[in-house]
Amino acid sequence: MSDEVLLEVKQLVKYFDVFSRGVFTRKKVGEVHAVDGVSFAIKRGETFGLVGESGCGKTTTAKVILNLEDATSGTVNFEGRDVFELLKSGKRSDILQIRRGMQMVFQNPYLSLDPRMTVFDILSEPFIIHGHIGRSDWTARVYELLTKVGLEPYHAERYPHEFSGGQRQRIAIARALAVEPKFIAADEPVSSLDVSIRAQILNLMMELQRDQKISYLYISHDLSSVRQISHRVAVMYLGEIVELANTDSLFEHPLHPYTQALISAIPIPDPETKRQRIILPGEVPSPLNPPPACRFHPRCPYAQEICRTVKPVFEQVDTDHFVACHFWKKFA
Amino acid sequence: MSQLTEEQTAPPKRVHRQRSATQWAVAWRRFKRNKSGVAGLAIVIAFVVFAIFGPLFAPYPPRSTESLLQGQAGQPPSWKHPFGTEINGIDVFSDSIWGARNDLWIGVAATAIATLIGLAVGALAGYSRGVIGGILLGIIQFFFVIPTLLLILLFSRVFQVLVYQGFGVNLIVLILGLFGWPGISFVIRGEIFRVRELEFIQAEKALGAGNLRILFRHIVPNVLTPVIVLASLLVAGNILTEVVLFFLGFGPANVATWGELIEEGVQYVSVYPWVALFPGLLVVTLVLGFNLLGDGLADALNPRLRE
Ligand SMILES: Nc1ncnc2c1ncn2[C@@H]1O[C@H](COP(=O)(O)OP(=O)(O)OP(=O)(O)O)[C@@H](O)[C@H]1O
Ligand code: SF4
Ligand SMILES: [Mg+2]
Repeated sequence: MSDEVLLEVKQLVKYFDVFSRGVFTRKKVGEVHAVDGVSFAIKRGETFGLVGESGCGKTTTAKVILNLEDATSGTVNFEGRDVFELLKSGKRSDILQIRRGMQMVFQNPYLSLDPRMTVFDILSEPFIIHGHIGRSDWTARVYELLTKVGLEPYHAERYPHEFSGGQRQRIAIARALAVEPKFIAADEPVSSLDVSIRAQILNLMMELQRDQKISYLYISHDLSSVRQISHRVAVMYLGEIVELANTDSLFEHPLHPYTQALISAIPIPDPETKRQRIILPGEVPSPLNPPPACRFHPRCPYAQEICRTVKPVFEQVDTDHFVACHFWKKFA
Repeated sequence: MSQLTEEQTAPPKRVHRQRSATQWAVAWRRFKRNKSGVAGLAIVIAFVVFAIFGPLFAPYPPRSTESLLQGQAGQPPSWKHPFGTEINGIDVFSDSIWGARNDLWIGVAATAIATLIGLAVGALAGYSRGVIGGILLGIIQFFFVIPTLLLILLFSRVFQVLVYQGFGVNLIVLILGLFGWPGISFVIRGEIFRVRELEFIQAEKALGAGNLRILFRHIVPNVLTPVIVLASLLVAGNILTEVVLFFLGFGPANVATWGELIEEGVQYVSVYPWVALFPGLLVVTLVLGFNLLGDGLADALNPRLRE
């Protein structure tokens, strides 16, 4: 890992319009604040973890970064170049260059591979699109990719439905690798897989990082895996990042009450060490009408009047540790 | 960051090499289990063979009134005229054979045209957002709700009277093709809405694939299944429309089709009942065949039922 920033996300916002369903009319009745002012930077060769409960906007963040969904506002810089600007009005060669640099591995490997194509077609299509591998080398490269992700060359002639979930996720990773990317957004790549397979896939990702200096945005709600593979971690709540720190400080000294609650919920393997589990009252509020000021206040055990009226600043509290809470000093 | 244990990182179990079952092979296996579907396929194949090779054995050319001169008009079935003859001496057996060729051609060719139009319009309507998508949907809905049969009759008559008579059955092919696509468009559009949200489409976008590649290489192949089923049913529908067209006297003159024979036969049904009977049975059988085939395909190709 180097200190050089590869990907910079600035004030990213994504609202989904919500419509009422009339027979002939479609009236906008509100907006889902899926991602609301998210900023972070990922360095070369770094794994950046993004955690949070279901529905807090993790997947949307990744998809908007890759412009698979249009951003409502905000910018993403990749190697210093404005991604949205280039994809929107750049030359075809610029677009392809951006696309080659950033890839995504999706949450559900049963939906992310075209069921009508063989593995060979799936893996060689990036060569057609980018033309970086001559046709005579396709077979060799496809076999190389398959081997790299722990599959066998003869798998190339098969269709996705003939593979298990773990194998499909390997194919999805191989497809991402086919363009030799510098950055991969991995959206819960193991959460739909058998527990026994998860470690294999995570190790594969770490190996690839060592060999090829790939940076990851690793999205998960499973904090132990995040701790295992991330260098730094951001915690998301209702579309906002509430805490961001290097992995050790975050897990050893969580400063945001929400982070503390998440960490307290991790099962501890050793029954001797007891930890008080923090139970949060209530449900996650709807992102349609997020609570004002500190979005966490309806569930926060420490909430005061100020939390309902003044939005806490996202401030730096240590080298590489940021938090958005009025009372973080209480927990430091 | 901690490393995971050796045992957890063991490579996946080696799968033994076997011939890969393609999606189509899987569907074919399912199809074979469905008796009525197989019966439909058998009927269709029999008629195709009949239409291709039958004319080699047809005793008379199409619409030939040769027998009239031999005093053989209006004869009941016999060895010489297995299906009998009609009032002008046309051999019903011969014209049934020529009719099989023409009716299959009308059914299949018109369906091909309708399917291509339906696919293109439906694909664009499903894939374009905003105004263009809305306009295309409007066009589909318009063609869907207009009384198609009336327009087909009208077009057929107007074209023959005002433009040109010598088109023969291909006029019917064109007209049925040009009016037959809205149903397919609707289905395609809906399927595309479903498929385009799937993540493998987003993966293609992330790879940098262009819109046309995404639409035609990834979306369209994944929505073809219902098209195959619909097309099979549409062939049956087109053959029936052909019969109705001729029955109502709107078909082009002097072409041998089942509809033409039925129309003549019905006029004299009390005197020469065989004239309408045999081609009528052929129509019913072939239409049934395509319907059974369509149902069988629907079962075999339905991904929600796939094992
Ligand atoms: N296409 C869409 N239209 C409307 N709302 C959407 C859309 N996609 C996501 N949302 C909403 O945006 C919010 C964030 O969704 P997102 O999928 O990003 O969450 P997530 O953190 O990835 O959750 P999970 O852990 O369940 O995957 C949710 O409330 C979701 O319902
Ligand atoms: S700002 Fe207040 S409500 Fe929000 S997390 Fe901190 S203490 Fe809780
Ligand atoms: Mg998600």
